[in-house]
Amino acid sequence: MELKNNVPPQLPLRFFRWFCHPKLLKYIEGDLIELYEERGKEKGKRKADIKFLGDVLLLFRPSIIRPIEGYEQLNNYGMYKSYFKISWRNLLRNKGLFAINISGLAIGIATCLLIMMFVADELSFDRFNKKADQIVRVVLKGKVNGEIIKEAVTAAPVAATLKNEFPEVLEATRLRRVGTPKISYQNNTFRNSQAAFVDPNFFSVFTLPFIQGDAKTALLLPNSIVITKEQAEKYFGTEDPINKLLEFKDVKEQYKVTGVIENVPANSHFHFDLFASMEGLAHSKEDKWLESNYFTYLVLAEGTDIKAFEAKMPAIIKKYMGPQVAQLGMTFEKFQESGNKIGLFIQSLTDIHLFSDFVGSSELEPGGDINSIYIFGAVALFMLLIACINFMNLSTAGATKRSKEVGVKKVLGSRKNQLVHQFLIESFISTAVAMILGVLIVTVSLTLFNQLSGKALEAAFLLNPKVLGALLALGIFISLLAGSYPAFFLSSIKPIAALKNRFSNGGKSKGIRSILVVFQFVISATLILAIIIVSQQMSYIQDKNIGYNRDQRIVLRESYLLGKNENAFKNQLLADPRIESVTMSAFIPAGPTDNNMTGVWVGDTKEDFRRTVIYGIDPSYIPTMGMQLVTGRNFSEGSESENDKVIVNEAFVKAFSLEGNPLGQSINQRTDNEGSYSSLTIVGVIKDFHFRSLHEPIAPLMMRNDPYGGLIIKSKTNEMADLIESIHAKWQAFNVEEPFTYALLDELYNETYLAEQNMGTILKIFGLLTIFVACLGLFGLVTFTAEQRVKEIGVRKVLGANVFQIVSILSKDLMVLVAISFIIAFPLGFYLMDKWLQGFAYKIDIHWWVYIVAGLSTLLIALFTVSFKTVKAALANPVDSLRSE
Amino acid sequence: MAKYISTMKKYQLGEFEEVVMLTVGVLYKDAYGVSIKKEIESRLSRSVSVGALQTALKRLEDKGYLKSFEGEATEERAGRPKKYFQITALGKKAMEYSKSTRDELWSAIPKVAWKFMSPQTTADSRPWLVDEKIWN
Repeated sequence: MELKNNVPPQLPLRFFRWFCHPKLLKYIEGDLIELYEERGKEKGKRKADIKFLGDVLLLFRPSIIRPIEGYEQLNNYGMYKSYFKISWRNLLRNKGLFAINISGLAIGIATCLLIMMFVADELSFDRFNKKADQIVRVVLKGKVNGEIIKEAVTAAPVAATLKNEFPEVLEATRLRRVGTPKISYQNNTFRNSQAAFVDPNFFSVFTLPFIQGDAKTALLLPNSIVITKEQAEKYFGTEDPINKLLEFKDVKEQYKVTGVIENVPANSHFHFDLFASMEGLAHSKEDKWLESNYFTYLVLAEGTDIKAFEAKMPAIIKKYMGPQVAQLGMTFEKFQESGNKIGLFIQSLTDIHLFSDFVGSSELEPGGDINSIYIFGAVALFMLLIACINFMNLSTAGATKRSKEVGVKKVLGSRKNQLVHQFLIESFISTAVAMILGVLIVTVSLTLFNQLSGKALEAAFLLNPKVLGALLALGIFISLLAGSYPAFFLSSIKPIAALKNRFSNGGKSKGIRSILVVFQFVISATLILAIIIVSQQMSYIQDKNIGYNRDQRIVLRESYLLGKNENAFKNQLLADPRIESVTMSAFIPAGPTDNNMTGVWVGDTKEDFRRTVIYGIDPSYIPTMGMQLVTGRNFSEGSESENDKVIVNEAFVKAFSLEGNPLGQSINQRTDNEGSYSSLTIVGVIKDFHFRSLHEPIAPLMMRNDPYGGLIIKSKTNEMADLIESIHAKWQAFNVEEPFTYALLDELYNETYLAEQNMGTILKIFGLLTIFVACLGLFGLVTFTAEQRVKEIGVRKVLGANVFQIVSILSKDLMVLVAISFIIAFPLGFYLMDKWLQGFAYKIDIHWWVYIVAGLSTLLIALFTVSFKTVKAALANPVDSLRSE
Repeated sequence: MAKYISTMKKYQLGEFEEVVMLTVGVLYKDAYGVSIKKEIESRLSRSVSVGALQTALKRLEDKGYLKSFEGEATEERAGRPKKYFQITALGKKAMEYSKSTRDELWSAIPKVAWKFMSPQTTADSRPWLVDEKIWN
């Protein structure tokens, strides 16, 4: 008992011994024990124990605790601390190189991040649907009388038929577009909501969460409608939208709101605001297989093989479409024998955005392009690679200057892996700084990038744990990649060689550096080539004679809303001396337009029908649009007899082989399914004009004298703003409730190619950045070379070499490498750009001089970059470089 | 350290530090952890924790006001040596400086000031006495 009293409690004592500064330990421990023994005698063990614990706890304060890097520890913290210190000092000593290194890497990382964000967003399309992997879309493809048919829509009965025929179809639903009808609730009238008819089970296929109402029952009744949150606020404000009636003005029908859903996510392939029940749509229940209007989606059972499922489609076509084809006067077998094909195909929901190639109005929304994903992905990867290569190159180059440091360290007993650690830590520091800078650049430039890419990317994306993890992994990867070469290379130098400075940058490392430089310039030259070709194609689109004149044309698509007053309005416009002519038509060759197609045949060859675009125009359409008649005449004004006349385009003449005598030919158009038809006589042939984008070839087109729709104005003045102001005033004089809207034809035209233009801009920016980063690397390398050869340059100068000779000696090696890179870059660039151009029906040829321009500009940029350093080195006074030693 | 003192406040000495310095002086050759603690506790009837004391001693030594030497190891401390403290010349200057500034301030108080003091303010009601009584 007595003895035990003398021993303080072990746990606090051990704790104290652990944390106490070793210098103070024995004295304080002595004090503590002395106090403990004294208290133990006076007040008993328990009290002494508690006091002891209290004292120990109160000793736990900064001045008593051992310092972290401490005193006589057994670990390597101190060593690592010194690595950090040395690395940091070394980085600061070479400020220029450090800045080049960091900024290059930061730009590389930022570009890579931005593009990754873009790609991640593109790939996320439609993934929000819970059944995304099971949902497919049925599409129509075929070839009828030589015309390729490709529609994302199918006939009304397809959905129900597939559901009945195949057990693997768990659910089938349809969607039919309505466009932007005029809808009102009390005093709120709008014409800017995208509406669609959908089957009642639509919301059990697509995951669009309901805020109010029930997904299963909302659309069971005809004239019920589900609207998005945004629309609910727009029409009803703070009122409860459920059971309120929305009036569709155009058809004078009322729809009862039975559900409110969240807004359709940005990454969906459709963005409708209103979903009306298809139950009331009689057309949707008809068994018509020859009309395609419905987007048809199926939910397939899990594990269904899409290819195998698709293989069952021809039988369905034969069974259901066959009889209806036969009604046209030709058996399905004969129809197929004469080279016609028609079939249903299956498309995964998740492929729609990126892979769907339905052109123009057939698709719900213009989708993304998998090629641009590949191009951007490649740019991102290359950018990062170039930045890493720079980093490696510069670190290796810079590190050779430190051979003495390595030698001394080795002599003093540094082990190889300690040196490896030191260089890796340097690499980590630089990468970390670059990473932070890169993220900053992303945050700052995101707004601009969003404008260009039409996305709504948010910097918050970067805070996602997965992304953070990826960033961290990327950082580690970059630092290992970039730091490994100098780390392992330098740490293996023999100390004697290093100290004697016999160490040179050696053949091996020079070889690797050369390969890296070539690689960088392959990418740069390819990008320059790509930029030139993309800009050429863009200006080709701008300058191409598209067959009509789009300048100074004002489009009033909504002017039909004036109803009976439209003609009066038109006459008022014509009275304005600034207006040359006005035409009434709903058909505009660019931007949103009416779009009618019908199957026609010429003469008696009923079987050789082809689908043709029909324009309804008036006699002033052709002069107003600046189109040209090749032969024949325009419609004449105010004559009833013009109604059975038609003007066709050159493509029509060609499709029906009417070259020679197109005028007077009769075009027949079916009017019902029983075989009656109407005939139209060709009175004129119009020069082909592009009424769809240049991605598509010009299709056969016929124009009838059937004016309806909006107005297109040809103005004589360039003062468009004034003119539009006065048109607006005239519009308001008619007291229409519709707001005045207008568009300029050239702007509509340009909007058609917005995606391409933006892609071009993005490519230019990233391309220039890539070249910039590559040049940074080149600059760093030449800096290093110049420093290494400073004595040689001095000697040469003393012996009489002039500036030009020295500059060329210094640049020669690098220029040879740049030239070598062209050999790889040009075929690569040709291949890639040729693929991109395939997407256009009308495209430029890639001329040989493009390569010369790309090559010369790359070479000049490289030479210019290098000259900063070489000229300086060549101008330096040899005395300065030769004086030392 | 010397540079630190000359550039920073000259001879800075906290209240507790001053008490410790004075006590070290009082104990003369017998000033080590436990004896200093006891001396302060008995003379000033305030409780001193080992931690607070050791911190102050370390800081004073770092400042150069105290110097220390290792004493003999004794049985009752389980063989642990004592660390004795002595005031250095610099320490003495600091103490003198501290005292003179106090005196200056004292003498600068006008006599009339005392007349407005409330009579309740006596030594017994100093609140920090209560706070420090945890470990006694």
